[in-house]
Amino acid sequence: MRDIGEARIRVPDRINRGEIIYVNSIISHPMDTGFFRTAEGQPIPAYFIKDVVVTYGDEQVARFTWTSGISRDPVFSFALKADKEAPLTMVWSDNEGGVYKQSVNIAFTAT
Amino acid sequence: MARSDEPARRSFLRRAALATAGWFGSGAVAAGERLLAATVPGLALGGPEDPEVPNEIVARILKEISGGRPITKGHVSLDMPAAAEDGRVVPVIIESDLPMRPERYVKAVHLVVDFNPDAHLAAFELTPALGTVSLSTRIKMKRSTWVRAIAETSTGELWAGYAHVNVTLNGCG
Repeated sequence: MRDIGEARIRVPDRINRGEIIYVNSIISHPMDTGFFRTAEGQPIPAYFIKDVVVTYGDEQVARFTWTSGISRDPVFSFALKADKEAPLTMVWSDNEGGVYKQSVNIAFTAT
Repeated sequence: MARSDEPARRSFLRRAALATAGWFGSGAVAAGERLLAATVPGLALGGPEDPEVPNEIVARILKEISGGRPITKGHVSLDMPAAAEDGRVVPVIIESDLPMRPERYVKAVHLVVDFNPDAHLAAFELTPALGTVSLSTRIKMKRSTWVRAIAETSTGELWAGYAHVNVTLNGCG
């Protein structure tokens, strides 16, 4: 997790249709508050992810509004009802115009 | 990401505990809800079980969220450490037993950290597609304070869970 915006989403290996699963995500980002200075005394401007959109198939299932109060390299987990085989996509947007996208495929365990 | 199974496990344990309590209490979740409603009637903003509103900023945020409707303690669990050594990384788990069905669901959860520079730390817009409310992340905290997780349902109810966190190292500069 070195480059800003490098992101991962993890879902369980085995998913049954209709099951509630936990989606874990992490994205590399400094989440600077704007309150700190460098060792040389230069102010570090605010630089943080402010908006996260979660899409499952073609449906927007959640949207998060963040501030720089979320810790550096934000982790976020949430429940999702796995009722269809479709991609789960997260799009993180920061206050400097950076947009970062990651997807995983929700697929059911063959029975 | 080694810790990332934690919410699911805790969630499971908590649900198991709740289910057990329900079993011994009334045997039915619906009855439990009625009991809760009966024992804490109309605990509005500033009720005896709620943390004090410390300043105008928090008062304004709560008013923006509620639009003047009462915020009642219950149905939302905010799980945070009682003492956080490093204010830069404080774990937060928010869960709710409120339904996530199209006719009635939690449409938003607000996280408010009273003494942070940006007290309205985050808002989470949710939909029934999530199946249940279980959110976890890590936040920064400036100093010891109450934290509020406020859930707004699609039917206009406001429910809250509170946690007091003692912070040793200021994580906000």
